[in-house]
Amino acid sequence: MRWRYVLKIVGILTFALGLTMIFPLLCGIYYKDQSVQPILQSMGISISLGLFLTYMFRGHQASYISQREGMAIVAFGWTVAGLLGALPFFFGGIFPTFADACFESVSGFTTTGASVLTDIESAPKGILFWRSFIQWLGGMGIIVLSLAILPFLGVGGMQLYKAEVPSPVPDKLKPRLSETAMLLWKVYALISMAEVVLLMLGSMTFYEALCHTFTTMPTGGFSTKNTSVAYYDSVYIDTIITIFMFLSGINFSLHYQALKGRPLAFWKDPECRFFVFIVFVLTIMVSANIYGSNYDSMGESLRYGAFQVVSIVTTTGYATADYLLWPGMSQVIIFLCMFLGASAGSTGGGMKCIRVMLCFKYIYRELFALIHPRSVSHVKIGGKAVPDDVLKSVIGFLALYVCLFAICSILLAATGVDFVTSISAVASSIGNIGPGFGMVGPVSNYAAIPYLGKWILIWCMLLGRLEIYTVIILLVPEFWRK
Amino acid sequence: MKIIIIGAGEVGFHIASRLAFENKDVVVIDKNAAAVKRISDTIDAKVIVGSGSSPVILEEAGIKETEILLAVTDSDEDNLVACLIADIMSPATRKLARVRNADYDQYHEIFKDKAPHIDTIINPEIEVVKTIYSLMKAPGAVDVGELADGRVKFIGVKLDSDSRLSGVRMSHLPELLGDSRPLIAGLLREDELIVPRGNDRMQAGDLVYFICERKKLSDSLEIFEKPQANLKRVLIIGGGRIGLRLAEFLEEKSIYTKIIEINQERCHELSELMNKTVILNGDGSDQGLLIEENIKDMDVVVTLTGDEEINILVSLLSKSLGAKNAITKINKFSYFPVMSAIGIDQVVSPRLSAIDTILQHIRRGKVLSAISVSGELAEVIEAEALETSDIVGKPLKKISFPKGALVIAIIHEEVIIIPTGDDVIEPNDRVIIFAIREAVPKIEKMLTVKLEFF
Repeated sequence: MRWRYVLKIVGILTFALGLTMIFPLLCGIYYKDQSVQPILQSMGISISLGLFLTYMFRGHQASYISQREGMAIVAFGWTVAGLLGALPFFFGGIFPTFADACFESVSGFTTTGASVLTDIESAPKGILFWRSFIQWLGGMGIIVLSLAILPFLGVGGMQLYKAEVPSPVPDKLKPRLSETAMLLWKVYALISMAEVVLLMLGSMTFYEALCHTFTTMPTGGFSTKNTSVAYYDSVYIDTIITIFMFLSGINFSLHYQALKGRPLAFWKDPECRFFVFIVFVLTIMVSANIYGSNYDSMGESLRYGAFQVVSIVTTTGYATADYLLWPGMSQVIIFLCMFLGASAGSTGGGMKCIRVMLCFKYIYRELFALIHPRSVSHVKIGGKAVPDDVLKSVIGFLALYVCLFAICSILLAATGVDFVTSISAVASSIGNIGPGFGMVGPVSNYAAIPYLGKWILIWCMLLGRLEIYTVIILLVPEFWRK
Repeated sequence: MKIIIIGAGEVGFHIASRLAFENKDVVVIDKNAAAVKRISDTIDAKVIVGSGSSPVILEEAGIKETEILLAVTDSDEDNLVACLIADIMSPATRKLARVRNADYDQYHEIFKDKAPHIDTIINPEIEVVKTIYSLMKAPGAVDVGELADGRVKFIGVKLDSDSRLSGVRMSHLPELLGDSRPLIAGLLREDELIVPRGNDRMQAGDLVYFICERKKLSDSLEIFEKPQANLKRVLIIGGGRIGLRLAEFLEEKSIYTKIIEINQERCHELSELMNKTVILNGDGSDQGLLIEENIKDMDVVVTLTGDEEINILVSLLSKSLGAKNAITKINKFSYFPVMSAIGIDQVVSPRLSAIDTILQHIRRGKVLSAISVSGELAEVIEAEALETSDIVGKPLKKISFPKGALVIAIIHEEVIIIPTGDDVIEPNDRVIIFAIREAVPKIEKMLTVKLEFF
């Protein structure tokens, strides 16, 4: 492990992050609010820290990045971004403790959308802009992470995607990384622009449309309104946001192919088919369940049912309705959606559809082998056999996911949080969703979670976002051995 | 007519023997001296020991004045190279190659237009799979063939002793069965082929060959008390090339298929290639495995391993364990006569299929298909009646057909006519002729244009 090289990369990241603070700064200047000074301070700190690290380790060049270094860069990069991103919140004085500011920032960068801010609307616009913008940045990071970096690191079965990502340079992480990143970011930016325009055609101002796009596209879920998207109470806006959340839950390399003139790519991809199917079925189930008990018209049931299912399954976390008031079945479905998550290669979190699919197929294969002990069979996705090592890492990933969910739930409950809140807050944080059940339902927030509990959840958000292995591997002593 | 055959294996040997029997000028080339000796000992053909893709050897064989070159060695690559060299040395020679690898399936036509300009690529495995499927559908049939692009079926069934048809005179068939009767082309009785006339009787134990239209197939099989099978479950023993092709074919038809393959690595390959078929790793002759996999519920067991003795034994074992029917792959022609004696009725032979296909292309005149009957005793030939050939323009009874040959159907435009003596073959009709081996050369002569013989 070339430590200095890793720190240099982290330094460059820090420097770049500082530069991006120019956008909230401009926003603050435009609105002449209280955010200019805290943002300038944070910018100064980030840029100087970045310059310092880059200068210190300027002599370290590398033509390749090893697997370990890759993981270290990813884990440290996100942590440092989370810490530095907290600075404007902390200096802005709208959060009581640094832990709260950190929670908000990490929740942003991991595109979770869990907030500790009670009165959002009273916060300065520049700060709120930053709050939305870091989610968008987080989304950019995630796309590259899940489509360009993780397939090479072979984390949690993601090597399946090695061949499928658009890239002019195959099989070399570094050159591939920059080319692939540029392609995918263009797609990401293009879809974002479309959403801004469409939202502005609704009742939103440019500022609001931008902020909501910044949190829809990365399936983040921060809103600039206290009551989230419910504030607008507009069928048009609900529909647009539902559609864009749904799109963000689909593998971005498929969007790339579709934009390249191959719209059939969506249909050909087995994971995408599964995702569309599951969203459709769950929407129908939830809408039917809330029809009559909560809403009188079928249209309304469908509108709120679809929005909430898509919001949770894509791990966005916007709210247009309080699902805590819905019947038990809808609540259970929404809770389970937190685990399922969106497609791999999207900006969504959770376990990911492809892993769940593989897991079910693997279970079927095991049952099949019990019936035909001499049979030879492969788990297949789209007619192609999935190698056994990929299956192993997928099963391992799912087991680890559930274990961490269990352990973190116990830890959170130990800080004095009640049962429903503990398990749903942890599920929501690992899955990068945002709202949970109980104290952290869609109309409340995480402000009431104890100090220690917030740190546990910050840890959960990072774990879930970075596909667990990348973070947890830093805790394995073998990793640090020379 | 001069023909060069490269490869003196089973296919090369039998093609050479048939063609030599028909007084054609045959040269056989093979690297293996023993295989070549077998030919020179038994067949009236010139032989050369050497590589068929060597220009020197081809020159020696007289490639320039050769009409047809057949490349039928066991290696696809050798066959293709031989055709390429022949194409360079003598572009006018027609080239036929046996190429079995499925990867070439899409390229058969391309090879015709571009080098090596192979006129026909023969992959008997495609035909074999079709034949196996036809046999599966007609479990009582011993032989099945397709004519007129599948619109006419050629079927051989064994007459049971309790059949109402046993002992019936041919001339009584119309009143017994009415108009929908199948046309009986020949009877095989104790290895003797009879082309039946009005007074001949069918006997129990006869192998009855008949033709019928495809849509009447199931009715015709009913007449012989051999109803069509309702095919649901198939067990294939041996996952080689034919096994794989067959399984893929059955998968398309949504028939539940299992393959037992002994080689673990091959099992993995198969499993990667197939979606629904159950791949089992094990020995097909393992009774425990067969029972565990519900052999008694199988509609058909197809034995396709590379070892024909094992195929025979496993077919017998499966039947004794309760499988409804078994189809056995046999390559050695010497086994054919004893098959029905030991209780194996349905047999496929990739080599025989290859020979059929090759013959169809070698025959003069416009021969569209050729089917070997019961080994090599007789042949069914489907041909287009050329305007100037001997058979056109006069009633059938006025044509002097050789003994042992019979016109069994005339396809006039889209209508299939089962002919009587008064029917006339029009130019461009298709005729289907059943002929015993001795009559084939004469039939061939009759089918070709008269001018050639002046």
